[in-house]
Amino acid sequence: MREEKPMKKSQQATPQDETVSANRRQVLLGGIGLAAGTALAPGQAFAKSTEEEAGQGQVAEAPIAGKTVKQRVPFHGEHQAGIVTPRPANGIVASFNVIADDPEDLEALFRELTARIAFLTQGGEVPELNPKLPPADSGILGPVIEPDKLTVTVSLGASLFDKRPWLRELKPKQLIRMAEFPNDALDSEICHGDLALQLCANLQDTCIHALRDIMKNMPEYLVLHWMQEGNVPVVQASAGGEHGTARNFLGFHDGSANPNSTDAKEMDRIVWVTEDNGEPDWAMGGSYQAVRIIRNFVERWDRTPLGEQELIFGRKKDSGAPLDGGKTEFAVPDYAKDPDGKKTPLDSHIRLANPRTAKSQKNLILRRPFNYSNGFTKSGQLDQGLLFIVYQADLMEGFLAVQSRLNGEPLEEYIKPIGGGYFFVLPGARDRDDYLGRTLIEAIRSEPSQQAAEGL
Amino acid sequence: MHAWKALSVAALAFAIGVGSANAKQEDITLELVEPLADYKIYVAENTKQLVKDTTAFVAAIKDGDVEKAKSLFGPTRTSYEKIEPIAELFSDLDVSIDARADDYEKAEQDPDFTGFHKIEYVLWEKDTTDGLDEIADKLLADVTDLDKRINDLTFPPEKVVGGAAVLMEEVAATKISGEEDRYSHTDLWDFDANFAGSKKIFILVKPLIVEDDPEFVAKVEENFGDVDETLAKYKTDDGFVSYEELTDEDRTVLSARVNTLAEDLSTLRGKLGLD
Repeated sequence: MREEKPMKKSQQATPQDETVSANRRQVLLGGIGLAAGTALAPGQAFAKSTEEEAGQGQVAEAPIAGKTVKQRVPFHGEHQAGIVTPRPANGIVASFNVIADDPEDLEALFRELTARIAFLTQGGEVPELNPKLPPADSGILGPVIEPDKLTVTVSLGASLFDKRPWLRELKPKQLIRMAEFPNDALDSEICHGDLALQLCANLQDTCIHALRDIMKNMPEYLVLHWMQEGNVPVVQASAGGEHGTARNFLGFHDGSANPNSTDAKEMDRIVWVTEDNGEPDWAMGGSYQAVRIIRNFVERWDRTPLGEQELIFGRKKDSGAPLDGGKTEFAVPDYAKDPDGKKTPLDSHIRLANPRTAKSQKNLILRRPFNYSNGFTKSGQLDQGLLFIVYQADLMEGFLAVQSRLNGEPLEEYIKPIGGGYFFVLPGARDRDDYLGRTLIEAIRSEPSQQAAEGL
Repeated sequence: MHAWKALSVAALAFAIGVGSANAKQEDITLELVEPLADYKIYVAENTKQLVKDTTAFVAAIKDGDVEKAKSLFGPTRTSYEKIEPIAELFSDLDVSIDARADDYEKAEQDPDFTGFHKIEYVLWEKDTTDGLDEIADKLLADVTDLDKRINDLTFPPEKVVGGAAVLMEEVAATKISGEEDRYSHTDLWDFDANFAGSKKIFILVKPLIVEDDPEFVAKVEENFGDVDETLAKYKTDDGFVSYEELTDEDRTVLSARVNTLAEDLSTLRGKLGLD
């Protein structure tokens, strides 16, 4: 079966070509015969469209943005944006150490951060200052900031609470410092942090602009600890509207079995902290965020037979369909009919991650990852991987349970988690009078010990 | 070499007056004459001290006294670090006095790598003074030359006022990581000197802005105060502990204060109407 699959695929792509057995013979004889026989001549199929779209013009003219620069994600709401918001092409996670000695500092930090994010995500003109002063804005997006679907999502790490006696009691119940799983090789320089920002936008420059703006305006509160940029490949819109998930750097669709992020009820159950979660009152409407920087050994992966790659994931590489049938990545595998893993191996990635049993329903999580490319290693290999980001109302039942099931999976040979952290996403700022973190600040003020300290 | 470097001190007030675009700026440049003159004295005192300290440092190296040379390394550099924005105006000397190994393609092994950090490398990594005589002589000649050239220099006001922020940029970019004095870990000496040099400039021009902008002045002073408080924890009888002893928490605090000071002090030139 493993050998048959790639042959069938090539036959489908060029039905006029040689038979399966002829192809097999070519592979055996010449190795490259298969590729040469089936590939299109360079530009053959796409020549017309690329020439029309590439157009004419000066080399230094700026590339033209699409209408998407006008896309604006509302900032105010019960929940923060950037979680159930459809993922744009680019993202950054930046983790900071926080300077806040008392609740007043922390409130000032939250208010300032809220003001920056409200401006950056909604867009507008950059203020003009006296030219003898440094400009108010980096200027990299010009004098008018387009929203470009920017979201900036603020979350807090366990260390923010642990280091401050006046915050300790209010820490979300499951918020812990990320611990090492067996396959991890965590680098402390790219792990943890007091406060994380997830910045997402259509264009990476929009994310970079927002990050620089926040760092320039808030140096007294935020010191950058680590950051990771990422993006996902964009695809052409399909006629039916549903164009599927993006591919990761292993070439597989990623996020196929995500819960329905447009279903508010399902999101309340899976993503948002509600009264059912037993968390502190201030945390209602928030969410646990697990971030993992997972290096992919892409050279080694690309030298792995396609059939084996598919068995490791449990999906077809081209369509994303499950191995037990179906045409698309959205087909649902029926593991009950395959109890011994003859079609979808029991240790395949998707089957371990989501066994689709009644019991595993409570382990559902909302994945929102980006791919990253960080240049290369000392060995001359590409330093690429997945900036894995996942949201859930219950960290133990969510990411921690799923990752525990994945420990020892065959995919581990090709991946190495090296950084990231766990954070708690603040509830949203409801309107212009509200600010991110208000409920936490109010909870600090109503703590008996705090009232005593302030002489209330 | 820039034209202003040829101007004499006596021509200072005249020279900066001519450069002004309007009456208001002329006022401010006239007001700056006294702080600039004071600053020039401060710089002269420091370069004089630098020559004196370097002479002793070089003598220890040539005596083959590794321990003494090591003990003099941190303190000798401080008078250079205090006036770095002015010293850096002579880029040839700055390179030969203070360049770091990563300024060279072959790093420590590069034949052009010289000055304080080359000596630091040999003292700490090789634990010897062997082979340093020539480099030590060159260092002394360079700081002596610097002393002379700075005394002949007319200080451009925007360089002096801008220097307060430049010193913070230095700390933010290369000092906070501990990469400046990577062999000796005497970074806290440099830190302290950079802050002292920045604060000196701020204090000299403070009377010119305190009335218009008391909040700004208070914020900058508070941040300098926090830095002093943090550094004080690491002081010893004769200087500072190793940079490796700085806790992550204090490093974060210093980072935040340095970045905030760099942001705030970057507006100092503009607040004084300088270009």
